[in-house]
Amino acid sequence: MLPRDCSGRLVAELQGALDACAERQLQLEQSLRVCRRLLQAWEPTGTRASEPPPGPETNEEDPPPACTPSPQDLKELEFLTQALEKAVRVRRGITKAGETDKVPSPRSRSTVAPPGTIAFAPPQNPGRAGGRASDARPTKGPCQTTVPPKGHSERQLLSLGHKTRVGTGARAPRPGPGLRDQQMAPSAAPQAPKAFTLKEKGHLLRLPAAFRKVASQNASLWAQLSSMQTSDSTDATAAKTQFLQNMQTASGGSQPRLSAEEVEAETRRLWKACSLLRLRMREELSAAPTDWMQEYRCLLTLEGLQAMVGQCLHRLQELRAAVAEQPPRPCPVRRPPRASPSCGGGADPAWSPQLLVYSSTQELQTLAALRLRVAMLEQQIHLEKVLLEEEVGGLERRRTRR
Amino acid sequence: SLPSGPSPEIFRRAKFDRPEATPALWQLLFRVLAPLPLDNPLASLAPEVQARLVKSALRSQGYPRLALAQLPEDGSQGSRELLLALSWLLARGPVPEQMLAQTRVPLGDEMTVCQCEALASPGPPAPQVRAEDPVDVRYVQWLMGKLRFRWRQLVSSQQEQCTLLSKIHLYTSGCHGDQSLGHLSVAEAEMLRDPEGGQQLLRTLECENRRLEAVLTWRRTELVFWQWMDTVLDTCAPRAPAAASQGTFLPGIPEHRGGELELVAWELRALQEELQEAAECRRAAWEAKAGGCGRGPEWSAVRRASREAVEKELGALQRCWEQDRDPAQPHGPHRLVRREDGAAGDWDLRAAEVIRTLRSQEACLEAVLHQLQGQCRQGLARLAGALPGLIWIPPLGR
Repeated sequence: MLPRDCSGRLVAELQGALDACAERQLQLEQSLRVCRRLLQAWEPTGTRASEPPPGPETNEEDPPPACTPSPQDLKELEFLTQALEKAVRVRRGITKAGETDKVPSPRSRSTVAPPGTIAFAPPQNPGRAGGRASDARPTKGPCQTTVPPKGHSERQLLSLGHKTRVGTGARAPRPGPGLRDQQMAPSAAPQAPKAFTLKEKGHLLRLPAAFRKVASQNASLWAQLSSMQTSDSTDATAAKTQFLQNMQTASGGSQPRLSAEEVEAETRRLWKACSLLRLRMREELSAAPTDWMQEYRCLLTLEGLQAMVGQCLHRLQELRAAVAEQPPRPCPVRRPPRASPSCGGGADPAWSPQLLVYSSTQELQTLAALRLRVAMLEQQIHLEKVLLEEEVGGLERRRTRR
Repeated sequence: SLPSGPSPEIFRRAKFDRPEATPALWQLLFRVLAPLPLDNPLASLAPEVQARLVKSALRSQGYPRLALAQLPEDGSQGSRELLLALSWLLARGPVPEQMLAQTRVPLGDEMTVCQCEALASPGPPAPQVRAEDPVDVRYVQWLMGKLRFRWRQLVSSQQEQCTLLSKIHLYTSGCHGDQSLGHLSVAEAEMLRDPEGGQQLLRTLECENRRLEAVLTWRRTELVFWQWMDTVLDTCAPRAPAAASQGTFLPGIPEHRGGELELVAWELRALQEELQEAAECRRAAWEAKAGGCGRGPEWSAVRRASREAVEKELGALQRCWEQDRDPAQPHGPHRLVRREDGAAGDWDLRAAEVIRTLRSQEACLEAVLHQLQGQCRQGLARLAGALPGLIWIPPLGR
């Protein structure tokens, strides 16, 4: 059996560690659910078929495009449909050759299906001409040979699609292009009923304008906050410092007593000092000096380290004395969560997150795994300290009792 | 629109210590010191309990005025003292910004590289009553095994998430209006997939914008507040140090913190012994060797140079632990961005660099753990020797 004094705290710490892990796991699983759902086929919402839903565009902030298409739009759509007809012709040539399960079951898509969707039916990306085609077609050979001539028109289709704002078409069904869609639909049908997947059409998504506006406002406000922090108004800072001093003197305390947080912070610092000093000592002791100058340096370093440890011990005595003055009190049931995480405030607070750029899945995985490993090591160290603390404390207590 | 808070009238009344201003200020202090989401059950604690938590939190942060600890917790009086406490908090740190940062809407996929948050989170509740029955060591071993298993689970879930995240970033590349980002994040893609959720996100974001604007306004005009607070301090009667009551109301250091200090002391003393031995040995060897080298001017110049170099190095080492935060290490959450070429701007972090930093951190921590485990084993052996009948616990760790 473990000594009584030792066990309680160790068990509590272990259970705390287990809880922390469980919480992390829950968050991860939640995130995984969302990610998996995103990578599957998206459910069509109402009449919005496979096009990315416009969402918050349906508010007054955005002036709704005219119900009658502008001449510019009409021209673009004309171009679009010409290209479509061409694509259909080509496709007929291919699909006649080898049509398998991609036979259309032409559900009567409502006129709401914007031209954009059908234009994108052959999921060609200018950048990935050959590869994608083989993805979605049952026939590979003929498709790839016909890619180059299609490439250009489809690139234009894509850019047009972007300009005509795929989403908005849905709200005001335009009779003109809509009808053309109907004509096109049966022939181009192999692709129309296909559900939306991120893999194939993800690169065609566009964030709604309202969101973009609010998000950019958000980013700019955070940037203003950061710049205000760094170029701190000296008047306000001086006023605050003065106020704090006045408060200190008014409360009658001659010297600010050490708060629990400060003791904690100092203890952490001393721990860090201890491990850094020890590491350095090991380095020096294991290095083999080749000449007398190196030897001298080594000696000086060791003596310097010794002096620093002495300073740390001195600081520790001071802390001990300060702690001893104050009667110990039992821990509160749960420490109130700190309002000021040590991360947030500090030398250079960039209140909005910086970017962390990665280039491959492998890299991201390595990064994440290392982060977890570091967290786990810190937890293990903490538990080891708890055990040692209880031991040392127990040993001391037993010695003094005798 | 902004969430509700105490009106200016409350503040004015608090200056004159009017009792009716007290409950609102207790509540405000609670929300500042223990920021919780509104749906958290702790948010609806009884006012007395909130008051007690406020007192405890202020005490642990080192609030200098004793009067606060003496205030009744029923909210019947003390508004001026509470106003002073609030101002003390506001003067010490960027409280509004920190609160905003905590409730920030994350638009991107974020990863935090530093471990600061882990330290700041509340520790486990200390056992109020020590276990009366000694705990079976097998129970402890079982708990440790369970912990190892949970970590393994975390690692594999994390790896899966990275794969999915990477795919989502890849598939949506070229979408984002912001060129520097390039692709959508999970939150943004989710918004497109689920327009209703997207509306919710938009509303929350707009709300945050209003609050950001409010904080900016505060920062531009806060001097007026501090000038006013000086007058509040003036209305307080100067207090003589209440020496008699100091005993009961001093901020106490929780019991086990004292234990940690002892541990550091123990470690430092052990280190000092080792260093003393090594240094004395080397010094003796050096004196024997170099004693006959002569004391020429070039010799003393060389010695001085060496001394200076060593001082500089050790000074840098000292700064490593004296500064609470390593300026070289990135802090806070970062937005993940996938770029095929891995190109990054001046302010951006590159994954490869972060990996390097983490690897060196890992090595350092492994050394520390190894060291501690060694100490643990020694300590246990000593205990086993000192107290017969004690079972030796296998060391913690993998």
